[in-house]
Amino acid sequence: MALHIKKLQFKFFEILPLLLLFFISLNGSSIINVKFFSVNIHYILIYYWVLRQPQSLGYGFIFLSGIISDIVLGFPLGVNALSLLFVAGVAAYIRVVTVRMTLLNDWISFIPALLFANFIYFTSLYISDYSVDYLYLLKSSIFTFIFYPVLWGLFSLILSLTKS
Amino acid sequence: METSREDVGIAIRSAFLRKGTQQRFSLFVLVVFSVILIYLETIETKPLNGIRSFVKDVIYRGAAVSSYPSKIFSTSYSFFENHINLYGNYNELIKENEELKDNISKSDFLELENSQLRKLIEEQIESPSNFASARIMLDKQSPYLNSFVINVGSNKGIKNGMAALDGKNFIGRIVDVNFFSSRVLLVSDLNSKIPILSEPSAYHAILSGHGTSEPTLEYLPENHNIQDGDKIYTSGKEGIFIPGIPIGEAKIVKNKIKVLLFSDLRQITFINIDLGALD
Repeated sequence: MALHIKKLQFKFFEILPLLLLFFISLNGSSIINVKFFSVNIHYILIYYWVLRQPQSLGYGFIFLSGIISDIVLGFPLGVNALSLLFVAGVAAYIRVVTVRMTLLNDWISFIPALLFANFIYFTSLYISDYSVDYLYLLKSSIFTFIFYPVLWGLFSLILSLTKS
Repeated sequence: METSREDVGIAIRSAFLRKGTQQRFSLFVLVVFSVILIYLETIETKPLNGIRSFVKDVIYRGAAVSSYPSKIFSTSYSFFENHINLYGNYNELIKENEELKDNISKSDFLELENSQLRKLIEEQIESPSNFASARIMLDKQSPYLNSFVINVGSNKGIKNGMAALDGKNFIGRIVDVNFFSSRVLLVSDLNSKIPILSEPSAYHAILSGHGTSEPTLEYLPENHNIQDGDKIYTSGKEGIFIPGIPIGEAKIVKNKIKVLLFSDLRQITFINIDLGALD
């Protein structure tokens, strides 16, 4: 019985990133927006898990979650999916070239991921004739970058629970 | 130098082209697929629109179910907030009631005068519009897109461009129609541009959203004399909407003319769609 519970617990923590990914997409809450503070948790979630445990978040699921986000938030299909895939791409690249992973390494390498993703995001919106608030983009990127260590801590805890 | 460049190439190839651990697709394939999807969004054909509508309808239903817990939380939060603010609101309402009583006598007179003048110019007083009521299914106010998803679509005769009203107040227009759902782009959205008419100053302008709850007036003549409290209505220019739908009132802040909307966009549950506007 105890073994079963342990197995279930392990399975739950293993699929937790995936559940979070789809919950965020379906709920349309990829950006936490409180007054002047806005954080894109979608980017952080994907970056962390692709970097640390890629088998927990398949690229196909990331693509699907982007498509769902596009539909829920009313953007042209593929815009969010493309930018999320670029975040995953940068994370995968960093994983290949990095030997030792620390919070500082992850945090600094998150900057190009953010830049790429936002560039792709707003280029696709521009092409699709959507107005873009550049100031908001800058603000959101800065806060997402600042907020990264907080979610890093939380996700590391989940990761350690999966491994234990 | 040559070696480091090669290393970067190998790393990029490894990240984008190879299928990673337990991955079914390579990133490159999915990126290409996303680009194709973005391109397909610009093509309007019947089969593609049908597929899009079906997929969107399914995901909207899923999203409505999954956002149910957060909806309950926000409803309970506003319930408690309303109770906490009860005393302050009560005092404000007493003041407002007194002001309204004063205004009623004035408006009765103006209404009478208005109906007599309308008869004089033989204008049709009855509005030709017919409305369809809709419930808001999803209210995901993204910082980039302020919109609602409603539970009626082409099944109830909804078409792109129709006006969405909260009671009698204009709040936005239909921008995307599926079989059983549609998307309403709110006046507060960055992409929203609505032709308006101010009263009593009688200026034509464009109401532009900025992603905040206070859209502003643009393209006004330089020497306009719009005052605080001037009422803003749809102008009906270009035949997009019927004229005279109330939107809000003007408020001048630092030389910008903001419009305080008559409807609180965060507190809307049901809306009306003006079906007659495009006929």
